[in-house]
Amino acid sequence: MPTEHIKVDALVVGGGIAGMQTALDLGDQGYQVALVERQSSIGGKMIDLSKVFPTLDCCSCITTPKMSATAHHDNINLLTYSEIESINRNGNGFTVQVTKKPRYVREDDCTGCRSCELVCPLEVSEDEHEFGRTSHRIVYVPFSTAVPQKAVVDIDNCIFCGKCIQACPSDAIDFTQQPEPVEIETRSIVLATGFETTPIDAKKEYGAGKLRNVISGMMMERLLAPTGPYGRVLRPSDGKMPASIAYVQCAGSRDQTLGVTYCSRVCCMYAIKQAMLLSGALPLAEITIYYMDIRTFGKGYEQFYQNAKAMGVEFLKGKVARITEDADQNPIVRVELIDEFGKTRVTERQHDLVVLSVGLLPGGNPQAKFGVPVGEDGFIQVPDYNVFPAVTSQPGIFVTGTALGPMDIVDSIMMAGAAASATASYLESSNGSGKEAQSQPERSVEYA
Amino acid sequence: MTARVDPQFITELKKYGEVTIESCFNCGNCTAICPLSTEETPFPRTNLRLVQLGLCDKLRESLDPWLCYYCGDCSATCPRQAEPGEAQMTMRRWLTGQYDWTGLARLFYTSAFWEVGSILLVGAFIVWMFFLFAGPMVTDHVALNTFAPVERIHYGDWVLAAFLSFFLLSNVVRMWWFTVAKDSKVKVPFSVYVTEAWNLIVHFVTQKQFEKCDEEQKGFWQKKRWRNHWFLVSGYVLMFVMVVGFLPWFQTDNIYPIYHPQRWLGYYATIVLLYGGFDILWSRIKKEHQSHRFSHLSDWIFPILLLLTTISGILVHTFRYLDLPLPTYYMYAAHMVVLTPMLVLEVPFGKWSHLAYRPLAMYFHAAKAKAAQLQESLTTAPAAAD
Repeated sequence: MPTEHIKVDALVVGGGIAGMQTALDLGDQGYQVALVERQSSIGGKMIDLSKVFPTLDCCSCITTPKMSATAHHDNINLLTYSEIESINRNGNGFTVQVTKKPRYVREDDCTGCRSCELVCPLEVSEDEHEFGRTSHRIVYVPFSTAVPQKAVVDIDNCIFCGKCIQACPSDAIDFTQQPEPVEIETRSIVLATGFETTPIDAKKEYGAGKLRNVISGMMMERLLAPTGPYGRVLRPSDGKMPASIAYVQCAGSRDQTLGVTYCSRVCCMYAIKQAMLLSGALPLAEITIYYMDIRTFGKGYEQFYQNAKAMGVEFLKGKVARITEDADQNPIVRVELIDEFGKTRVTERQHDLVVLSVGLLPGGNPQAKFGVPVGEDGFIQVPDYNVFPAVTSQPGIFVTGTALGPMDIVDSIMMAGAAASATASYLESSNGSGKEAQSQPERSVEYA
Repeated sequence: MTARVDPQFITELKKYGEVTIESCFNCGNCTAICPLSTEETPFPRTNLRLVQLGLCDKLRESLDPWLCYYCGDCSATCPRQAEPGEAQMTMRRWLTGQYDWTGLARLFYTSAFWEVGSILLVGAFIVWMFFLFAGPMVTDHVALNTFAPVERIHYGDWVLAAFLSFFLLSNVVRMWWFTVAKDSKVKVPFSVYVTEAWNLIVHFVTQKQFEKCDEEQKGFWQKKRWRNHWFLVSGYVLMFVMVVGFLPWFQTDNIYPIYHPQRWLGYYATIVLLYGGFDILWSRIKKEHQSHRFSHLSDWIFPILLLLTTISGILVHTFRYLDLPLPTYYMYAAHMVVLTPMLVLEVPFGKWSHLAYRPLAMYFHAAKAKAAQLQESLTTAPAAAD
């Protein structure tokens, strides 16, 4: 198969909010950008969320236009369902080998009409976005607002009945597709490899993922999202509407037994946000947040926290040590509660549903693939964080979003602007072989 | 009410063991994970807090460190690796030093020179005693009671028992003074001491707090730490009673038949002491259990002395059985040289003092709880009568 060649100014790795925004910012300035995304749709973690804090704006309503803008931008070449294989430095630029994984659906022909999906006779658990709370067909459009709106075949589970082939009005289904190599020649790279969350089974004391009514914060986002699996908040074990919901803060961060010593920065705020949304979704439910410290440091965040308190969300200081369950699978948390006078009490409290505010872990392995150093926490380490937060120690390679460390959406978007700006300056400089190289020779020192 | 704050307290405590209490951010995970911590008596975080604040007087008055049986769950799950389990172990060493009015316990715990030196000194003293008081060595057959006449040894036993009882009991009185008498919140009436006394016996005999420590296992035989500890204590107490109380019955020149209680009681005690001693030593070398990851010198001295005593005792018996006079006599002297410092130093001033402090702490704790309950019922009684 002939290798497809793409020549661009900047390659953005990762199509989450930080990657999309960086690509848009660079594309708007006239640079040619390639955006490589591992999953079949861009949107990253943000498209799975319900609302954003502290404004409680609809998350889809912010993300979807960005996804569309990225996909339709004249200067952005979007490669979804693609993996980066290798990176070689080529003079001042890079040659990047990418593999486009086969969708078994010709992207150019698919119109996203979903005719194939309607006739597909099999369903499998939807694990990628819905944590197995619902199912999807074998040939399916990843989710309703997926970009690109193209079907993909779960080939491992396909029985090749051929119904989709018959149903497709544009003959887009192609079971003979092979992985396609793509070679990207680029002058710079921006890493937006993002984060993963601490696995829900990481802590033995919290039931090691075996307690059915103990879910992660991301799962709760799906339950709260209008596009979520049930369309309302139900607990997994028996579909009951929970009357009492507890949040366990620092369930995957600031915990040396998990090797995660740092604060994940977003958990306090997303727990408070979810508590507020739950107060709306389940007005009679009692919501408790067990915390070690509440860290609400951003603009309007403290007020947001105070509002939640005023709305009746119960905040109790103490780290939950153990979660067990009773015969009805109601989770029971055991905690030492410490009041504001230092009085202390060990207690066990039963709830209908417990949400673990899991922390943020680095996504992917940027050190192995891109040769950029990572810190003790596994996130990309930049040489001069305070002055050039987006500039890595590898000339021509930049970083943005949570690849750099835990940060919220607001900060990720700001970082995207910073990364796009740093990349643009580099592209104009002598190291980037820019057209104004002669006029600013000494700038190059900054990136050496 | 005033409280004395000693900013150097944590530095002082570090002399007694591995302490990383500074790392603690008081999340309370340790207290909530602890199977022994209760709603009324939450620990260990409260104790770690006292150390952070330098409230050494408050810690001295606390029984909590003795209520911990070191399952290690707190250390294993501590998000800051502040090692609350080892901190409590260290507090117990410090408390032993506080209860002891002679200051010897403090010296032994904080200085390897004093710990080892005093053992050697007492050993040398026993050698000297043998030079002074040992009888003639009969070489054609084993005549242990001629070399070491049982009435002289027995006399020595009484001196030893009186010595360690005096020091241990006086330290116990100080423990009571700090933890019960000085507590202004609750006055324990005499009747409560009597009605709650069963605690002392039950906890001494059964060590049943260990039961709750090993939550994942069920039953005495499955709970390895409780089982091994219980057998070790049973062997130790049995041997102590036989040697100190009934030596003329225990140390005889004629060898009784195997079914005689002197033989099988002795064998029982020997086997459990040997197994228990090796078990502790092995676990500490391998750092198997959470509670054995850190080992203070006193933690090593104790199983080593115990094993040396047991092995030398076995050899005395073997040589006597094989009718080897001189090895029997020398091994007997060696046995005494190890055994005496173990009893004289470790019981009142060292790690073994916990055989008194642990059940006493349970007793005092129960008495205080009962007294508090009585006080409460007295204050609320008139209201109830209305």
